[in-house]
Amino acid sequence: MVARKRKRAAREPAEGTLSPPGYSAIPIAFSEKQRALHHLYVREHRVREGTKSAWPQKRTLFVLNVPPYCTEESLSRLLSPCGHIQSVELQEKPDLAEGPKEPKSKYFDPQPVPGFQVAYVVFQKPGGVLAALTLKGPLLVSTETHPVKTGVHKWISDYTDSVPDPEALQLEVDAFMEAYDRKAAEEEAKAKEEEGVPDEEGWVKVTRRSRRPVLPRTEAASLRVLEREKRKRARKELLNFYAWQHRETKMEHLAQLRKKFEEDKQRIELMRAQRKFRPY
Amino acid sequence: MGPAPAGERLGGAAGESEMIEPAQQGTGREVQKASSRKRTVATSPVEGLLQPVKLSRAELYKEPTNEELNRLRETEILFHSSLLRLQVEELLKEVKLSEKKKDRIDTFLREVNQRIMKVPSVPETELTDQAWLPAGVRVPLHQVPYTVKGRFRFLPPTQVTVVGSYLLGTCIRPDINVDVALTMPREILQDKDGLNQRYFRKRALYLAHLAHHLAQDPLFGSVHFSYANGCHLKPLLLLRPHGKDERLVTVRLHPCPPPDFFRPCRLLPTKNNVRSAWYRGQSPPGDGSPEPPTPHYNTWVLQDTALESHVQLLSTVLGSASGLKDGVALLKVWLRQRQLDKGLGGFNGFLMSMLVAFLVSTRKIHTTMSGYQVLRSVFQFLATTDLAVNGISLCLSLDPSLPALADFHQAFPVVFLDSSGRLNLCADVTASTYHQVQHEARLSMALLDTRAEDGFQLLLMTPKPMIRTFDHVLHIRPLSRLQAACHRLKLWPELQDNGGDYVSAALGPLTTLLGQGLGPRLLLLAHSRPSVPEWDISQGPPKHKDSGMLTLGLLLQPEGLTSVLELGPEADQPEAVDFRQFWGPRSELRRFQDGAIREAVVWEATSMCQKRLIPHQVVSHLLALHADIPDTCVHYVGGQLDALIQRPKETSSTGEEALAVAVRCYDDLSRLLWGLEGLPLTVSAVQGAHPVLRYTEVFPPAPFRPAYSFYEHLRERASLAPRPDKPCPAYVEPMTVVCHLEGSGQWPQDAEAVRRVRAAFQLRLAELLTQQHGLLCRATATHTDVLKDGFVFRIRVAYQREPQILKETRSPEGMISLKDTPASLRLERDTRQLPLLTSALHGLQQQHPAFSSVARLAKRWVRAQLLGEELTDESLDLVAAALFLHPEPFTPPSSPQVGFLRFLFLVSTFDWKNNPLVVNLNNELTADEQVEIRSGFLAARTRLPVMFIVTPQDRKNSVWTQDGPSAQILQQLVVLAAEALPILEKQLMDPQGPGDIRTVFRPPLDMYDVLIRLSPRHIPRHRQAVDSPAASFCRGMLSEPGPSTLMPVLGYDPPQLYLAQLREAFGELALFFYDQHGGEVIGVLWKPTSFQPQPFKASSTKGRMLVSQGGELVMVPNVEAILEDFAVLGEGLVQAVEARSERWTV
Repeated sequence: MVARKRKRAAREPAEGTLSPPGYSAIPIAFSEKQRALHHLYVREHRVREGTKSAWPQKRTLFVLNVPPYCTEESLSRLLSPCGHIQSVELQEKPDLAEGPKEPKSKYFDPQPVPGFQVAYVVFQKPGGVLAALTLKGPLLVSTETHPVKTGVHKWISDYTDSVPDPEALQLEVDAFMEAYDRKAAEEEAKAKEEEGVPDEEGWVKVTRRSRRPVLPRTEAASLRVLEREKRKRARKELLNFYAWQHRETKMEHLAQLRKKFEEDKQRIELMRAQRKFRPY
Repeated sequence: MGPAPAGERLGGAAGESEMIEPAQQGTGREVQKASSRKRTVATSPVEGLLQPVKLSRAELYKEPTNEELNRLRETEILFHSSLLRLQVEELLKEVKLSEKKKDRIDTFLREVNQRIMKVPSVPETELTDQAWLPAGVRVPLHQVPYTVKGRFRFLPPTQVTVVGSYLLGTCIRPDINVDVALTMPREILQDKDGLNQRYFRKRALYLAHLAHHLAQDPLFGSVHFSYANGCHLKPLLLLRPHGKDERLVTVRLHPCPPPDFFRPCRLLPTKNNVRSAWYRGQSPPGDGSPEPPTPHYNTWVLQDTALESHVQLLSTVLGSASGLKDGVALLKVWLRQRQLDKGLGGFNGFLMSMLVAFLVSTRKIHTTMSGYQVLRSVFQFLATTDLAVNGISLCLSLDPSLPALADFHQAFPVVFLDSSGRLNLCADVTASTYHQVQHEARLSMALLDTRAEDGFQLLLMTPKPMIRTFDHVLHIRPLSRLQAACHRLKLWPELQDNGGDYVSAALGPLTTLLGQGLGPRLLLLAHSRPSVPEWDISQGPPKHKDSGMLTLGLLLQPEGLTSVLELGPEADQPEAVDFRQFWGPRSELRRFQDGAIREAVVWEATSMCQKRLIPHQVVSHLLALHADIPDTCVHYVGGQLDALIQRPKETSSTGEEALAVAVRCYDDLSRLLWGLEGLPLTVSAVQGAHPVLRYTEVFPPAPFRPAYSFYEHLRERASLAPRPDKPCPAYVEPMTVVCHLEGSGQWPQDAEAVRRVRAAFQLRLAELLTQQHGLLCRATATHTDVLKDGFVFRIRVAYQREPQILKETRSPEGMISLKDTPASLRLERDTRQLPLLTSALHGLQQQHPAFSSVARLAKRWVRAQLLGEELTDESLDLVAAALFLHPEPFTPPSSPQVGFLRFLFLVSTFDWKNNPLVVNLNNELTADEQVEIRSGFLAARTRLPVMFIVTPQDRKNSVWTQDGPSAQILQQLVVLAAEALPILEKQLMDPQGPGDIRTVFRPPLDMYDVLIRLSPRHIPRHRQAVDSPAASFCRGMLSEPGPSTLMPVLGYDPPQLYLAQLREAFGELALFFYDQHGGEVIGVLWKPTSFQPQPFKASSTKGRMLVSQGGELVMVPNVEAILEDFAVLGEGLVQAVEARSERWTV
């Protein structure tokens, strides 16, 4: 019964929504039918002195706890009454460094499945942020005029979108490769130009393309060299030549046996604790 | 075996409801248990986890003492490893009687002796006049026919001697039996008592009187009758002490005749001692044919006379040699684990002791040998000799009056004579029992030779119950049918010999009959021995038919199973008559392709699963034909679980054929790919990477042809898409094929560019396949889907160097080093390890045809328990493969049923915490490498996945279990398997018992906090459910396969899409469980740790809300909103969200 009381207690604050210090809470629901609400926790985007942020100060609203069915468009629509919105960016977790993302390729970077996200909403004017902080809600993600697809409808439309158009894909690949080839050619040309030309201190860079190519500097290569050295040394060594070597091998064997014995004893102890010796 | 002992369990949590409890609690309990056992644990394994041993240098390199060197040398000579030595010592400690208990038993025995001597005598009466017997006791013998000559009186025994293993010190716990021989006074017996069961009648009356008097004594907790070795003519009296010692010891009283009372020459195996005239109540046939010999009857009489001489022989041999005693004790444990020692004709401990004595007398065993060496020598002897052909004898005398071995071979299937040369110790052992012992010895020998680390465990500690050992098992019941069988098989002399025990009389001929009929299909046929009953003295002895049922176990030979034909002799050969007679009406004359006309029997079977069950047809046919046992009395247990892996609406096949069709189609495709012209780089390898291509997909795909009207058409992209107004279309999963291209310097060295080039290849591949072979293709950036003969393949182009490119990182000094990244690991797994595994398992299937069905059944079960998402497909396949590659102490399974039982056994008893599961595919790992892997594993245990599976290709990482299961999930699996195994075994062993076979496949749902019920309309695989629905929806496929010009809907499974969303959004708060094969419900379990109120943090607000608790603002999950989210996210699919517990309010 205590449980039920607590439950009610948990529901009550929904009316006089609680918010953590520095944030304000805006109730949000998927549609009118929902009775229990989630809360967006919003505040103005601020960073400490000296930290760089890709988001404009003053004009950016930082939103926590955006439910999975809430898309960038719907968030934009919900917050537009507060002022003109420049951009809305949803992210998995708060990340200052990352600015607005570059447009991603539809074919090579499939859209991840959304969970609860955070959003950076950039208004055109600082007033928008202030207006948003006082929003009372509850906000409705899906309305009759702007329905948001979920469930079966969403999966079907996702499936239809995911069926690729080979021609568009070919175009994108060609465009990328063209740019890549151009870049590679430029680098090549630049490297060729610098070939054999000493820098300010007079050093000449030796590269793969030099007249006498060198081994690539990789870890694997250096390990291989070490290994070869070791083998060479081992070949030269004589074992069981001196009496002390003989003695030592014997002792080593004994030590191995002892170690094994200790291990076995531990194993037995464990098996005994697990009653592994009862054949019935 | 019951559920795994608590100590064995991972984490130690005891029940399901506690599954998510933090593991520390369980281990705490375990430690408590360990300490309560009053053992000083020196190197206490803290959590039951082995730790690498750390010894100081000084300790390792100190000068050895003489004693230490001796012990080391002894270990090296007498055992093959110190671990084995310690294990054997530990086991012997566990099974041997302690001195303290011995003292208590000795006191009890003295008491018993006194009481027996005090039992009063009764005056002499006719044997048939039993009115003098008091009311409370019944004669422990079936007196059929009742009339018999002779007079009986009771006199106290002249001598009471302890015989048997207790005296020798080789008796083992838990059943401590002390055999006491009571020598009856000569006055009780008369001449010719050996005839017509007179001796046995007197013996029984003797015991009845004794029982009546001893039962009144308060010294005894219980006084019961039983049979000596299950022989129903020889009852014995069981005495157990009163009070808390009741389970300590059972004293068994064997009355025996005075020495030299019977003339041995009258009891030879060729002699008759049960007259037909008396037994059948009719005069012998007038033609003067001789009376049939009664070898078994004679042996039973002889056994009573030889009790003392045997114990004397054994005590002289074993007397001072402790190694031999240890050996006998180990052998007894070995027999017991294999259920070979109990019942009439069991290969009991006494026989083993005598065998050891024989080997000592032939110098095969020396008295200084260790127990382990004795064990080995006995196995060696059993495995390499055949007592059914060349009997052995302990008798050294060359007396010509002794009977010849050949006489014994005539009368008994197995011959092992005692030192008198007249008594066959193996008289009751049937040929099949002996062959089973031989078979087991051979297996054990092979196991010891592999020097496997867990050899001891497998050899002596793993029980081998019949249902888990044999591929197929059949029960014959009611047993009274065997009486008719005896008459049909004309076994009257045997019945006369066995004193009317029709079960034993019929056993030999029946097994021979079936063995002959099953021929090349059979590796071994074993039978259960009727259990030895024990009954109260006020009751009559149980009837023969009361011993339940007769169970036969068949070990099949996979090579023999593929044939549907029994080829007989040519029609004009004389053997043809025998063949016709043996097979009856099933035998037909057939003309074969080579022109021969032969007798033959053809069985109806088309699919693999039906062929596996041909033995059923053979057995029922032969039993009905020759033994008059109708089909209704034969309960054949072999294919009961097949239904679980049959495709919906298809009951004649378990899918092997469908898988083979798919694999053939794949082979065709790979040939096309090899021969493709016009690709800039040639194809260097085509490898399958899908469960279908290793025969382990639970429900194999069928050729698919869409009904166009059911779908949305995407004409310009040549594809179909699901329609919102229709039920979800059928699930078509593309089969992944990895296509490697030859290496070339032209590939770019940049990861992004490689992806683009790969995409270009995918496009080109689609184009060429369409152009050159007219296949419908669809290319995406990562793969090309190809529709071929109704199957959809997903070709992924792979470039060998791509993982390396992803791994490369450049240090500031310009050194390029390789570092694993998640992307590179994933790519390596998908393009390198998965194809390797697939081809290795494909090979395994060719060697073991049952692999496919076992693996699929195992997967079906795990998924039905809603744990399928946590355990990867590949890891389960590997566990199933382990059953075939490391079957010890069993043989590789040849039927799905036994394979599945062993899967449950393995999962429930394997010590995942301290052992890696080594799956030695293609036998690539040597013993040394395995040792190395084990030590590496122990050293790094805490960093490795809880379920660790090693294959030759994957020695350090256990790729397939890296992302799960977690310790709790594995624990849950172990618990479920431990519960399912006994239930299933009981159902299979008791054909008429309650409950159906699917019980163990239905998941327990009461443990979940929330159940999300799904609408069948949007579950594409609805028909695959464990309890297949009577009706489901039309899924837009035509029954006739044919070509299609539009690509079907691929991989569209709403429940999976829904689960992915749920896990992404609420994965931190809850676990989601679902059966992908048509599950209608998703189980949700809250994670208790995330339900702790937390202070507000910007990074952990997901789905939580702020509440004030005790004046503080804390975050708790917003459960009610989340429950509504469940419904919102799964709109259309979700039928109801049921919250079943209020755990979140804690």
